[in-house]
Amino acid sequence: MENPFAQEPKATSAWLWQVFTGVGLVILLGLHFIANHFIAKGGLRNFADVVAYLRNPIILVLELMFLVFVTTHALLGVRAILLDLGFSERTENRLSRVLGGVGVLTVSYGLWLTWVIIH
Amino acid sequence: MATLNYPKIRRAGRWIDVRRRKLGMWAYALNRITGIGLVVYLYLHLGVLSLLARGQSSWDSFVSLARSPYYLALDVLLLAGILIHGLNGLRVALTGFGIGVSAQKALFGILMLVAAVALVAAALKIFGG
Repeated sequence: MENPFAQEPKATSAWLWQVFTGVGLVILLGLHFIANHFIAKGGLRNFADVVAYLRNPIILVLELMFLVFVTTHALLGVRAILLDLGFSERTENRLSRVLGGVGVLTVSYGLWLTWVIIH
Repeated sequence: MATLNYPKIRRAGRWIDVRRRKLGMWAYALNRITGIGLVVYLYLHLGVLSLLARGQSSWDSFVSLARSPYYLALDVLLLAGILIHGLNGLRVALTGFGIGVSAQKALFGILMLVAAVALVAAALKIFGG
């Protein structure tokens, strides 16, 4: 008899990274949500508060870790769904490189935006 | 020339059709659907944050808009996706490492109950101010 749970991913290195970033996100996203949407008055910080918040070095490190973890987790998830299409190994490698590039661009954009905000 | 391979697409999309499937397949599909939604949200969120680079007036105008009930309802929807994906994802991780495999259906039920309770509490907080 088919066991639907058996269709869940096997332990490849990409899957292990997804688990690692996923567990990290539970903590980082929890902190991000509490700090930005539950403690902040009215659920969102105004411009001056965002600048002051990001100028705190501990917060800055946590928010940048959050950016890297969420981007990695998201793009590994997209990769897993796309790989279900059953591409050739060459196309899979190409897809992984493209998604890696998207990840680098996403994190670079986040770093640039953070730099602009705190300066 | 690249052509669309319809049998492959049908096979790849099989997970989304949960009709007459067991709970495990629902859990699997739910994780992927919420995951896709959260990826879309991530890039929308990064786009919205670009308003911060345009200065105080752009961001503060957005903040006023984001405090409207329609935006708050979208926040509740976002939280639902995060809670479902996060808690269901923890179950997937645990079972992937061979932990709680025999109890995973019960675990899924309990975690979705936790998600529902947390969502109601968060929605009350969001709309209550």
